[in-house]
Amino acid sequence: MANMNTKTPLMRVHGISKELGGREILRSVSLDLYEGEMKVLIGPSGGGKSTLLQCMNYLLVPDRGEIELEGRRVDPRKARELCEFRQHVGMIFQDFNLFDHLTATENVSIALRKVKGMSRAQAKARAKAELDRVGLADKGHLYPAELSGGQKQRVSIARALAMDPKVMLLDEPTSALDPELVSEVLTVIRGLAQNGMTMVMATHQMGFTRSLADEVLFMQEGRIIEQGSPKDLLAEGSGTRTLDFCSQILDVEGAGA
Amino acid sequence: MNETVTVLLDALPYVLQGAAITVTAVVGAMFLGLFIGVPLAVGQVYGHWTVRTLCGLYVWFFRGVPILVLLFLFYFGLFNFMGLNLSAVAAATVVLGMTSGAYQSQIFRGSILSLSKGQLKAARALGMSDGLAIRSIILPQALRLSIPGWSNEYSIILKDSALAFVLGASEIMARTHFVASRTYQHLPMYVSAAVLYFLLTWAGVVALRALEKRVRIKGYVH
Amino acid sequence: MLKRAAFVIACLLCMAAGPALAEDKVLLNGIDANYPPFAYVDQSGKPSGFDVDAVDWIAEKMGFKVKHVPVDWDGIIPNLLAKKIDFICSGMTITAERAEKVNFTAPYWEVKNVFVTKKESALKAEEIYGQELTVGMQAGTSEAKWMADEKEKQGWKFSIKLYDSAPMAIEDLVNGRIDAAGMNYPPARDAETKRPVQIIGVFGEIEPFGAAVRKEDTDLLDKLNKGFEMLKADPYWEELIAKHLNK
Repeated sequence: MANMNTKTPLMRVHGISKELGGREILRSVSLDLYEGEMKVLIGPSGGGKSTLLQCMNYLLVPDRGEIELEGRRVDPRKARELCEFRQHVGMIFQDFNLFDHLTATENVSIALRKVKGMSRAQAKARAKAELDRVGLADKGHLYPAELSGGQKQRVSIARALAMDPKVMLLDEPTSALDPELVSEVLTVIRGLAQNGMTMVMATHQMGFTRSLADEVLFMQEGRIIEQGSPKDLLAEGSGTRTLDFCSQILDVEGAGA
Repeated sequence: MNETVTVLLDALPYVLQGAAITVTAVVGAMFLGLFIGVPLAVGQVYGHWTVRTLCGLYVWFFRGVPILVLLFLFYFGLFNFMGLNLSAVAAATVVLGMTSGAYQSQIFRGSILSLSKGQLKAARALGMSDGLAIRSIILPQALRLSIPGWSNEYSIILKDSALAFVLGASEIMARTHFVASRTYQHLPMYVSAAVLYFLLTWAGVVALRALEKRVRIKGYVH
Repeated sequence: MLKRAAFVIACLLCMAAGPALAEDKVLLNGIDANYPPFAYVDQSGKPSGFDVDAVDWIAEKMGFKVKHVPVDWDGIIPNLLAKKIDFICSGMTITAERAEKVNFTAPYWEVKNVFVTKKESALKAEEIYGQELTVGMQAGTSEAKWMADEKEKQGWKFSIKLYDSAPMAIEDLVNGRIDAAGMNYPPARDAETKRPVQIIGVFGEIEPFGAAVRKEDTDLLDKLNKGFEMLKADPYWEELIAKHLNK
């Protein structure tokens, strides 16, 4: 958090562009992510937040630009490098994407066994620990269809954490949840932030952003238009686009977070 | 009437032995079709365009040519040419299996496409290779969804297996015909064959439904 | 799961392929099991008939093992050429066309061809040619070929309907779908004893039966020829005729 300018960034995104279906979704986006930092992406839908996050994990391969993790560049054409890279960059999706045929425990342990090569027992123990961490110690035997939305998202966070990622990318993790389930997920994410997890999160939860984000990035039409601390960007009377946008969604969503 | 009953009872063990041959061929063809159909479906959904084209050609060929023609082509032609001295039953099993592979691939393909794309993304995000993700995340779900289509395919192969008789496979239909030729009890014999095929279809469908129930995931509504 | 299934399928294929591989030294006689009384399967499911008994006797005398394999008549010569069977002794008529592909033994039996009608029918054999009737015959037989060729040449008016076997033609005759059926005398005689049909007269040529082997198998051809010679000189020959043909 401190001394951002003197340290080398944990992850560098440099000049990323991406076209999808003939439309330019990302236009030369760059950002530096420092260890322990939490960046929040804000902006209208279609602005490129989700595409940027997916590019940062190479779930979408950028047309141009580079991504470095701890100073190393990945060649997305080499499948092995790609898989290795993705293990270090965890991803949380808006609609959870749990594996429907596996129990909560198995959802967490499967990659430990098949990607990290842990034994069944080791993987299970680790999965239990991670589920415990997100407050689901007693739900391990349940299938996704038996869990509430908030529980599903917590399982998906446990699943990502089990891989010991260096960076977590969260793509609107609470948008698909019923309002009463939002806080349980935010509590887990807050815990991560307080434990120093490096994160980039797209969200509309303004209260959460104010209190936890180190930096807010406002994205529109594929570009980062404004960036700065939440204090600066969201100060009353600052006249920023970010503030303008946030007051609009607060009108729509009511009291939000 | 009495004579008919005697003929049917006499023929029963003989025709039932034919049913064992039929079932062997059909079960063999189902498994062979599974082993061909799964990679075909995966190739068609996730493959490079050359792979997709090749898989498409396979499906197009086996769906387009009548099984009877395929049986002759492979038994007297290809297998012989390759120096494979397969028995009639083995040859029929292979041909039925290859054909079924084409049809089963379409069942699996539909199942794969009906799964949400997000799960594959999530698997990749965990560092799984595409092959691993397909094997351990996509296929276990797609195969479960395919069981109803599979049971349909079983009844189709079962009925197609009657054609194996043209190669000299001594299955239900061939044996029914032989007994009818000797006894001139054509109609009763064919009615019995129909009943036998019906029972085999029913047994298979019940077995597959039990399997479906066994592997069902709790609370899972697709 | 995948491995287990692979094992199962391998086992099934081996089981299915087994007979073809294991019993190498047994010669396979291809028969049309829908051709009583020459070849059929009996009540216990065993191949039997005049030809089957004859071949069994010959095999024993000539010192080879034999197994009778029912084969679809239409594909019986392709089966022989593809080495799925080793010879055919199943009421096969010696014709010039077939002799181009296979070698025949000397004729061991001769049959005439006859028309069969329903029992109450007043149709006479010589009336068939000039009328627009339907005559049922077995596909792939010499008599069906003769009939088609002559019909063309003579301009006969009836039409030919082809069946998988002679008994199927008889069944359709009984059902009234065809007016007459044409076939070799022995199966017609067999039908007469079992169904309400009658033989009304002969047609075509006398047909000599021979056993067929692949062109290169001269050794087997000699054995079969010698075997039939011995059989005809043996009292068992008359026994066979009495048992199967003169019922």
